[in-house]
Amino acid sequence: MARIVIDPVTRIEGHLKIEVEVTNGQVTDAWSSGTLFRGIETILQGRNPEDAWLFTQRVCGVCTYVHGVASVQCVENALTTKIPDNARIVRNLLMGGQFVHDHPIHFYHLHGLDWIDVVKALEADPAKTAEIARTISPDAPTIDFAAVKTRLAGFVDSGQLGIFNGGYWGHSAYLLSPEENLLFAAHYLTALRQQLIAAEMHAIFGAKNPHIQSLRVGGVTCKFDITTERISKFRNLLTQMRNFIDRVYIPDVKYIAKKYNNWKSIGGFKDKFNYMSYGGFPLDSSETNMLFPAGVILNKSATVDTLNLSQITEHVSHSWYTGSALHPSVGQTTPSFTKYDTADKYTWLKAPRYNNVAMEVGPLARVLIAYNKNVSSVKTLVDSFLQDASLTAVDLHSTLGRAAARALETKVIADAMDGWLTSLNPNGEVLTTTTIPDTGTQQGFGLTEAPRGALGHWINIQNGKISNYQMVVPSTWNLGPRDSSGNRGPVEQALIGTPVADASKPLEVLRIVHSFDPCLACAVHVIDTKKDKAYTIKVS
Amino acid sequence: VENNNILVLGVGNILMSDEGAGVYVVRSLEQNFQFSENISLLDGGTLGMRLLNPISRASQLIVADTAMLGFSPGTISRLTMDDIRTGNIVKNSMHQLSFAETLNMAEMMGFLPPMVIIAIEPFDIVTMGTTMTSFITANFDNFCMRVLDEIMATGGTFSKKERVLNNMFIGCN
Repeated sequence: MARIVIDPVTRIEGHLKIEVEVTNGQVTDAWSSGTLFRGIETILQGRNPEDAWLFTQRVCGVCTYVHGVASVQCVENALTTKIPDNARIVRNLLMGGQFVHDHPIHFYHLHGLDWIDVVKALEADPAKTAEIARTISPDAPTIDFAAVKTRLAGFVDSGQLGIFNGGYWGHSAYLLSPEENLLFAAHYLTALRQQLIAAEMHAIFGAKNPHIQSLRVGGVTCKFDITTERISKFRNLLTQMRNFIDRVYIPDVKYIAKKYNNWKSIGGFKDKFNYMSYGGFPLDSSETNMLFPAGVILNKSATVDTLNLSQITEHVSHSWYTGSALHPSVGQTTPSFTKYDTADKYTWLKAPRYNNVAMEVGPLARVLIAYNKNVSSVKTLVDSFLQDASLTAVDLHSTLGRAAARALETKVIADAMDGWLTSLNPNGEVLTTTTIPDTGTQQGFGLTEAPRGALGHWINIQNGKISNYQMVVPSTWNLGPRDSSGNRGPVEQALIGTPVADASKPLEVLRIVHSFDPCLACAVHVIDTKKDKAYTIKVS
Repeated sequence: VENNNILVLGVGNILMSDEGAGVYVVRSLEQNFQFSENISLLDGGTLGMRLLNPISRASQLIVADTAMLGFSPGTISRLTMDDIRTGNIVKNSMHQLSFAETLNMAEMMGFLPPMVIIAIEPFDIVTMGTTMTSFITANFDNFCMRVLDEIMATGGTFSKKERVLNNMFIGCN
């Protein structure tokens, strides 16, 4: 039996430490630890609720928009403010822009190197690579693979791997041929250029990226940006992204799913297979008709239960906080660091639970819930993907399922964005005037679906100022620790049973951890000083 | 060679004491000098990969940053892309995709313009705080001057603004 500690896990945002116990080449236990403390909630106490979004949005520089919108939504909920339809559409476009930016970066730049052996690409025959490229996607733009190979060789031969430094190159769990590796390495670079387009698109109605400027409690402020000229600029950039998604991203994920077929049964969230979504992208003012519906799936069920927010609690028995399991509306953030001890307290993340069970949130949860609810755009796409990749619906409860769901929902959202653009009214109102009463108390919550999953902000207002604020973020759901009954969080469960070929190079463990797209900046509550500077793998 | 788009990029985290030094340089230059049209100043903060866009449009890149090279705090160094590739730059960011990686990516994508980094050796990049330590402030004027030298050497011109309300340490509270 060996303990492997990966600290920090790289190619993610924020700081995450993963410890696993390996017996006979398989993971038998796992602990997920967020090593940073987040103080945003404390900073917000006593401030004007209308200012909160400017703070919360800056909890992270990756999914920058999502904490802005969840914050204005919770204030709107507390004041029972309805936003104009144009504002709803602009917010959907901003959120959609976030997804279309984030998800391809995740696949190619954060998760991709767990599937692709960049060094092996140097043995590739560029002509054969071009042939494979045509087979995978005949419509994809042609690439000069010989030039890409030369550029890669320049990095590798000099011994200066640059961005590819620190990978487990040559590991037996890499299954692609040299040509396939070269193809994906080339797409790694294509996707880098592509994300610049997505960021530009985000800034059209957001004024800048990251950290857009155009939100306000009651709607959005970009009234004079909603012009036919800017709409057509947006559409032009969106079309470039949609072409990339259809011709490169989805065919690539399909190909990886075929080549790494055994990963359809590795990395699922074992014990219960529970999934939750708050619902994302409202399609009208009802707040119930969503592109991705809200709901809960318990124990791999084919039916979807209605989401009941009162069932949410945050446990702290294995986290460095004092207190008990509480609903976020009365939640407390009282730090109490002891020491890192996997038998006791070992993380700054709390353990959110729904009806006292752990829930996976994110692309897979959203797609499964929409699929089970027969949302036609999702169902058609998922079914055709499964058929092409020789998979069945049950295979989605896995590492591959997460990567597939992420790609497929990117397409569903990008396609819907085109329609939303059409329905924007250049003369429409974008803001409902709101006033926060000087006296009295109000309570509100703002729920949304961020790229990484269900995101909720809860606010209590007293005499016009924030008296309590709690954020329950996607990575806390997925990467949180054991709860007060000792039940593991989703990633901890997902890791159990994972084959580990070489304990000093735990590539397989990273493959699963990365499939959750961990983003810890908002999940945890500044950095432990000296320890986190180096990337360490400890095997004992 | 004519440089039509010289990007002066200050990077770092202004919440982590000396880590923000590069950003303070850009702020100070902006407040105190008038630059020729081929110069743009940018506070790059901790944006990492999101700086690829402005970098891709530049014909020359001048970066102001902190770097832990083992010199005494406040020492100013001039680094080039060769130093980055060999890993002389410590990952000094809270973000996993550090600025050095961003430069590597730009190079791999084939659009990294000629680049130089003027870096100051920090004393403290760990304590949360919006002011720099005396090791840095004592040499801050020189730090700014070294960046101005690079601007001149690459074809930019500048003049001191007439009304300067504060001294050079304007960005440093």
